[in-house]
Amino acid sequence: MTLLHHKVDREAGAQPASRRRRRGSGVWKVALVFLAPTLLLLLVLRVIPITEAIVASFQRSPSRVAPPRWVGFENYEALLSNGDFAQVLGVTGLFILIIIPFQVISAIFLALLLNERFPGLGIVRAFIFVPVAAPAAVATVVWGVAFQPQGPINAVLEAVGIPGQPFLTSPDQALLAIIILMSWIGVGYWTLFLVAGLQDIPHELYEAASIDGAGWWRSFFSITLPNLRRTLAFIIVADTVASLIAFVPVALLTRGGPADSTRLIMYDAYNNTFVLGDPHLGQAEVTILILVLVAITALQFRLLGREKES
Amino acid sequence: MILPNQMGTTRPRRVIVATVAWTVGILFALPLVWMLASSFRTSGDIFSSVYPFNPNILIPRTFTLENYSKLLTGQFGLSVFNSIVVTSITVVVGLFLSAMAAFALAQLKFRGAGIVFAVIVLSFLIPFDAIAVPLANLFRDWGLANSYLGLILPGIANGFAIFVLRQFFLAIPAELAEAARMDGLSWWGIFWQIYLPLSKPALIGAGFTLFLFQWSAYLWPLLIATRPSVMLGPIALTNLATAQEVNFGAIFAGAVLLTIVPLVLLLIFQRHFTASLASTGSKG
Repeated sequence: MTLLHHKVDREAGAQPASRRRRRGSGVWKVALVFLAPTLLLLLVLRVIPITEAIVASFQRSPSRVAPPRWVGFENYEALLSNGDFAQVLGVTGLFILIIIPFQVISAIFLALLLNERFPGLGIVRAFIFVPVAAPAAVATVVWGVAFQPQGPINAVLEAVGIPGQPFLTSPDQALLAIIILMSWIGVGYWTLFLVAGLQDIPHELYEAASIDGAGWWRSFFSITLPNLRRTLAFIIVADTVASLIAFVPVALLTRGGPADSTRLIMYDAYNNTFVLGDPHLGQAEVTILILVLVAITALQFRLLGREKES
Repeated sequence: MILPNQMGTTRPRRVIVATVAWTVGILFALPLVWMLASSFRTSGDIFSSVYPFNPNILIPRTFTLENYSKLLTGQFGLSVFNSIVVTSITVVVGLFLSAMAAFALAQLKFRGAGIVFAVIVLSFLIPFDAIAVPLANLFRDWGLANSYLGLILPGIANGFAIFVLRQFFLAIPAELAEAARMDGLSWWGIFWQIYLPLSKPALIGAGFTLFLFQWSAYLWPLLIATRPSVMLGPIALTNLATAQEVNFGAIFAGAVLLTIVPLVLLLIFQRHFTASLASTGSKG
């Protein structure tokens, strides 16, 4: 009642134009008040540090105490001409190329399993999601013990007749070991999105497919996957962002080794800046990382906003 | 009617599906079960029970609460307390500020709202860890190192939280606010008395996102808060693991303590959390 009343009231309003203008500027002020804390945080937590990284990446200090001076692209040239950074990019690229398909395919498989009906579904679902709660430091420490030469994984392997594996001490296996420990947390998380995505697919589509005589594989490829396209795109992008900043397992278990086989970019930027004490080289690396992340995040944001278009 | 998206169509297939699902579920749970079992063992028992393989790997031969009592009375106990304080403040303040921003971006029709929204969410979607390196030096210059404030600040602005809350606010009919305005309620009143009470599911989802970020943060506390009085749980845990004499019982007990809090929250709020994740654009 009141709603209708107000509408009539406003339409019959005496000075609609001036009133709207006054309300318009008022809304601006109100919006500013509501947004002020967030905008301030945006300045302090994003704009200033990113500017700082960019500025520092174009500077260099002759010594630890001397003030920095401008050196143009010297730091970037040093990074790019140095074989170490090529190694970092190679390791990070390989890491992304393995971990993303591995996690996404595992998550699809798990989501499909959890979409079935079987005794104990609720318990299995809880088991798969529970590792999501474990902080990265916990996963790293526990798997770090598990991967030890005389740890439980080798104990099980040897019990079934497979020789013990070196895991973190082998240049061939260390990166894979890190991928496994990160996936223990990550896969359950991405599965959460896919389970929700599967539930959103209208049943009628499958009913129609059933009438057409389509089997499981057929309906998986022509109904399930196309309808999960948006969820999958989102997961792939978000997983790439999360994997690019992987840090804890490298910092704690391998420190980039053995033989630089786990020198991921986030750890290397940290290492250059705080361990080797070359902040300007470190900031150049951070600037490159942030540039890549901004590009991927922009893609992620477009995926977030998609539903308006549909 | 059996639909073609179901794998378990016949009895043998149902048995296979159930077996595979249970195997996978148990594999996911095993590290946690092992962690829990080991946290009650004496240090000497941890490795002797593991290698070579024997059934005691999951069933402790010894049972002790000493790992926990030692941890909680020492540095680790203080660090868990710090983590709880820092994370609680982060969730409360973060939710409040994110909801305010989301309200302005969803309901106040000012010019440029779309651009402001894009800039805010995009910026806060850039993962904080990448920015931690340049920001750490600035925070030290500003005197925020080794303080609760320095630890809390990065956690309270979160792109996902703002996005999820705005999505939810957009679904609330604008007429509701309109009518309240006409009845003389201020924008603040509309936000506080109408929007927040209506948005519990979104607030829980966003709050959980804020919680997980802060509770598991590692790089930032490592850079900014290494003094024992403000040290957070994950740092204290890894200090145990890299100590001169490693006490494995303590490590496992610490791992359990740091996992139990998010685990309980996850199991309680699982549905809300999933619903809010689903609203972050995966829905089509």
